[in-house]
Amino acid sequence: MSRWEYFVKRLLLTVPVLFSVLTFLFIMLRAGPIDPVAARLGPQAGAADRAQLRERLGLNDPLWEQYVDFITDFLTFNFGQSWVVQAERDILDIAVGAAPATLWLGFWAILLPLFIGIPLGFYAGLNPNTLGDYTASLGGIIWQALPNFWLCVIALAVLRRTRNDGGLFGFDWYTLGPDFAARDISITGTPRLEWISTTDVLMLPVPYINDWTALAIDIKLILPPAIILGSASMAAELRIGRTAMLETVNSKFVETAKAKGLSSRVIVWKHIFRNALIPLLPVITSEAFLLIGGSVIVEQIFNINGLGRIFFQALTQGDLPMAGALLFLFTVIILGLNILQDFLYTVIDPRVGYDQ
Amino acid sequence: MPDPTNGEAVESTKRRRLLGLLGGGAAVSLAGCSDQEPSDGSDGNDTDGEDGSDGMDGEDGEDEPQRTNADKAQAAWESAVDNPLPEDEELRQEAYIEMEEAARDDAVLIPLYHGLTELFWYDYVDVPLTGALGKHWQQLNTTTVEGQSELNLINSTFDELDPIMSTDTASSIVITQLYENLTAFPNGVPEIENQLLEEYEVSEDGTTWTFTLRDDVQFHDGTEMTAQDVKYSWRRTVESENSERAGFTLNQPVGLGIDAETDDEGNVVPDSLAVEVVDDQTIEIQLVGPNPDVLDVIAYSSFSVIPEGYVGDIEGYDGEVTHQEFSTEVANGTGPFELGEFNVDEDVTVVRNDDYYGEVASVDAVNWEIIEDSQAAWTYALEQNADRFEMPTFAYEADAIDAESDDRGRQVGTYGPAGELNEEVNYLGISEISTYYFGFNVSNTQQAARQAIAYVMNKEQIIQEVFAGRGTAAYSFLPPAIWPTGNDGYNSFLDEYPYSLGESDIEGAQSVLQEAGITPDDPVEMTLTTYEAEVFQTAGELIRDLISGTGVNLSLETSQFSVLQSRGEDGDLQMYSLGWIWSWPAVPYGMFQLEPLNTDTSTMPTETNGFYLDWQTELNEEAE
Repeated sequence: MSRWEYFVKRLLLTVPVLFSVLTFLFIMLRAGPIDPVAARLGPQAGAADRAQLRERLGLNDPLWEQYVDFITDFLTFNFGQSWVVQAERDILDIAVGAAPATLWLGFWAILLPLFIGIPLGFYAGLNPNTLGDYTASLGGIIWQALPNFWLCVIALAVLRRTRNDGGLFGFDWYTLGPDFAARDISITGTPRLEWISTTDVLMLPVPYINDWTALAIDIKLILPPAIILGSASMAAELRIGRTAMLETVNSKFVETAKAKGLSSRVIVWKHIFRNALIPLLPVITSEAFLLIGGSVIVEQIFNINGLGRIFFQALTQGDLPMAGALLFLFTVIILGLNILQDFLYTVIDPRVGYDQ
Repeated sequence: MPDPTNGEAVESTKRRRLLGLLGGGAAVSLAGCSDQEPSDGSDGNDTDGEDGSDGMDGEDGEDEPQRTNADKAQAAWESAVDNPLPEDEELRQEAYIEMEEAARDDAVLIPLYHGLTELFWYDYVDVPLTGALGKHWQQLNTTTVEGQSELNLINSTFDELDPIMSTDTASSIVITQLYENLTAFPNGVPEIENQLLEEYEVSEDGTTWTFTLRDDVQFHDGTEMTAQDVKYSWRRTVESENSERAGFTLNQPVGLGIDAETDDEGNVVPDSLAVEVVDDQTIEIQLVGPNPDVLDVIAYSSFSVIPEGYVGDIEGYDGEVTHQEFSTEVANGTGPFELGEFNVDEDVTVVRNDDYYGEVASVDAVNWEIIEDSQAAWTYALEQNADRFEMPTFAYEADAIDAESDDRGRQVGTYGPAGELNEEVNYLGISEISTYYFGFNVSNTQQAARQAIAYVMNKEQIIQEVFAGRGTAAYSFLPPAIWPTGNDGYNSFLDEYPYSLGESDIEGAQSVLQEAGITPDDPVEMTLTTYEAEVFQTAGELIRDLISGTGVNLSLETSQFSVLQSRGEDGDLQMYSLGWIWSWPAVPYGMFQLEPLNTDTSTMPTETNGFYLDWQTELNEEAE
């Protein structure tokens, strides 16, 4: 089996996964404890109103018909309307409106660990059992053990105490970089993301940044939640990076390379680095899963109007179609990332897919 | 995911939602009542001016030997409803207190606490004190901010600006700035004043009201406000499919009770609402019966005035804007502010209306940041991004309050510096017009067991443990702010309170149980069903522990709010927890739920809409 056959096979395998998720959602929505009509109308609506809505929602149709409609609607991203959270508004509109903030948060939450966790892990792996190694490893373990919601609360408490020249902490987060205090901006809230424009180059719209200050403000706003959201994966990357490095350093081909007289810079960057990346790849892509789960809490506490916060509201207020649609979107994203991971695997590691 | 720091926020969100449901529920059921039983008079909705309990007429005056508390309450309610004219005020007051006493003596409903709102604002803000009705009644044109051109506040999530859709305080806070009513409770102080109204006249029988409007009022788009606009706006409350408050327009005594025709399906016939435009400045309404609370009711936000034909959701109008736009994008009222921008779930801005007929606002704009999480809200407040704010319990230090009671019973003073707040801020504590209570289904519980629970319940302790003291212990269903005979009357009611005040009286519980022949050897089993609110769950645990061994075995269960409601309607509860918030400060809007005949769960929610008490089973004067 060639590696591309292997890739296509993985691609096809996502189809049954998607269907089982949809079926599960359908059962949850239709057979679960919350009656869609009651949730939408409130508990004291008249019998006539209930019957009318039941008919309108198609709940009197045969179950298989409802199932087929449900699957077709979801696959065509036709999610219907929210019941409670933003009653009567189109779910797709709400999700599209909230997505940029979550993407912005997720982008930084993946980027920061990549550029902190992996270099630290490689450093620790290249210098095993030194003070630097111990500091990095221990720090990583502690960092991973701290729960996100606690970190969020502490981060807010610490950062807001730095107002008016810091006091205990010696720095003022508000005036550091873009001045939040002078602009009356809170350290919580939704990034505006209004610094990007598009211009037409040869008839094609090309995005460019038109307001660097606004960009800086949005980055500063998102940094604390992004670091917290990425904290668990940063620590995981550090530890796996260290192990992978250690293993690769001690393997035979490195010894051979040394014997050939290659410089250590070439050995590290050309031979060790690429091979050490292989076990890291699934860690990085599976971060997306952590990010989606974690963004629910982080967005709530940092008051970011993103998908996570809306999901949280939908769950606590019994807005089933909204929660179902978001779950479906999350599933699609995770499946997409899994495919991306398999694709990268086939590129980085030529051994993937070959028969033994 | 377990998240202790969020518990509070979740709790408050849930609580608010529940309250929304409570208020909404009442209206929905009222609407249902009028829809389906337009003329059977089962719930005071009849047109013949009688109280509606037709089966009992002629009997309630007689004093039978075994007159139960339920009989007393029923008779009192009927005498209040039968005497709606202004000169009978005193008689009605007495009747409502009699109902309170009956409910207290029978222990069918044990109040737990009245909500307490505490507001804090920085010294650079000068804002009028709000009253017991809540800050969502406050127009912010008289608020000044030193050194800033805008006022910044925090609000919760909401998704509609249509006055007839609004059932929550978050949206009314904004709607109050944009739209106005004929009357208003300025700053939420329970004293009615004219707003768009110049003067009114009532016919002798109390059923025809003539309102003369101010002639100097313009909408935000510059057109004059006239009587046609009022008629159109009020028609929307009953004819639009978006209305969630039709009952407030159609029903009596819990609403205005404007006459209207209904079709076979129970819907109001278009343009049949008895609102008549006499001339541009005068409007006349015809009620189904006299109503002493008309001016109070028309202050409710669903009676806000919007320009005629602005939205096309009733017959005869195409609408200048779609309802979707009207909900979140545009507004055209007479209020001191115009809608700037509304980003659902993010922020709302209103800007000054320079042509306002009253006092033009001193601030250019008011911004609300929409925050649900208490950590984020507290951060926002500390940053002085919010000029007036509420305080989460984790940051609250009761010792830091330095306040005195004013003539309206409000605590007015200062707070701090305390904790992270390193300056002194202004403080206002107001007991709200809301009551949270334990109710009992009378047919499933024994009187002695109910009374025993009233004896052991220490309300002060529960409030201290759960809210750090941020609540007012309740001993009556009616909150003190609207007690019919005022503060003195309320205090004498407290003096006569038969159960324990501020303590747990276990001996009292034991003796009342012994009298009824209930002993620890042969105990009564009772189940307390609470919805997901910490205060009731904690209270339940305390009561269970205190009462065990006296002869009542209390077991606790928690259910979803909607499940609790439907079980209540099925009569399938023993002891349960709920709350009630007054939409306007009228006593009957609340008391109607204690009318024994209206607590019949077998006909809920269509014909009856009282508390889930089944108190009618105790009526001796009804022929059964």
